[in-house]
Amino acid sequence: MTIFDWRNELNRDGHRVVISGQPIAMHCHHYNINLQKTMEETLGTEGVELLYRSAEETNYHSLQHLFNHYNKIRTLKSKLEMASLLYQNCGLGIIHFRKVRPNLAYIASTSSHHVTGWLAKHGRRDTPGCHFTRGWIAGALEVIYQRPLGYYIVEELRCKMKRDEECVFHVKER
Amino acid sequence: MAIDVSKIIHAVMEGSKIRESKGIIPLFGVYLSLFSVYYYNRLSFDFEIKMGKPREAEARALLIKAAQECGYATFQGIRDSWEWQQVVAPMVENQEDQILGFVAVAVAFGWGDLAVEELVPGEKLVIRANDSYEARGYLEQYGPAKSEKCYMLRGVAGAFMDLIYGSDYPDGLYAFSALETCCRAKGDTCCEFIARKSPYRPNA
Repeated sequence: MTIFDWRNELNRDGHRVVISGQPIAMHCHHYNINLQKTMEETLGTEGVELLYRSAEETNYHSLQHLFNHYNKIRTLKSKLEMASLLYQNCGLGIIHFRKVRPNLAYIASTSSHHVTGWLAKHGRRDTPGCHFTRGWIAGALEVIYQRPLGYYIVEELRCKMKRDEECVFHVKER
Repeated sequence: MAIDVSKIIHAVMEGSKIRESKGIIPLFGVYLSLFSVYYYNRLSFDFEIKMGKPREAEARALLIKAAQECGYATFQGIRDSWEWQQVVAPMVENQEDQILGFVAVAVAFGWGDLAVEELVPGEKLVIRANDSYEARGYLEQYGPAKSEKCYMLRGVAGAFMDLIYGSDYPDGLYAFSALETCCRAKGDTCCEFIARKSPYRPNA
């Protein structure tokens, strides 16, 4: 089933680029990874938290807007499918919602923009590094389960930046 | 032949709708992502806030540096790409045209309505934007600013000059640096970036 016509959603509004009317910017892995490294090296855990929160808030509002727009998408399955499709079509990678409950979830990513970018620029790291994706997942599930921002906490159990086979995320209530 | 901005925008928009099976967008020699401008603005401006008043200058310098390094690597990848050779290179007659091509790609990426106002080969580049996502985002999220806020575009303006008039890649980074002389976030009518030869090279 095609949930929404992706090619028609990505458009231009004058000089701005929009997805379903919301302004976006195209950035490459050099910038995204430079920003991550700057945050981590300068602010440490506070920088990691800033990356997470920024992605969480942004995705929360973006998906809220999309679900309001596509109000026929009501079931959990179709909402998760739309979220995965959005992640993939934004060039962020592949995300699999493996087990999702209102109070607990396991999610895997077999490919991601941030992993590809980090490995290309800096090679393997010793700690999990998908802070953007953790925040993105938190925001997505908060919208889908109609919970407030910050309701979930997402941890990364395995990470391809560490050369694990896939990235695995565990979601629980804060 | 003049640089046809609309042709470049069309190529980027069409290319950004094609992704491989892993959900990655390889376009113009880089991996592209499409994400809300709110994210980038929140990250940059809250970083500045978290660094606090005593480290304000350091925060700005780090954000500009991140963007200039990115712009340098990104646009080097872009001008080496198959897409550049197919779409842009046939319109490029001299070095200055390459800068016009870079600016057209930046417009295509949704960074703002950038236009080159002045280009003195090897010396000076002036870029203006009536609307950049950074200035607009700052105004919308934080209200009028006391200082200029387009850190990404400021770094990128320097990188454009580094690539064309600096030493061969990768040794030309920071040969130039840009100032933002006016910014819509602080009430000016436009954002203006002036890149000139750097008086010093950070981390050199």
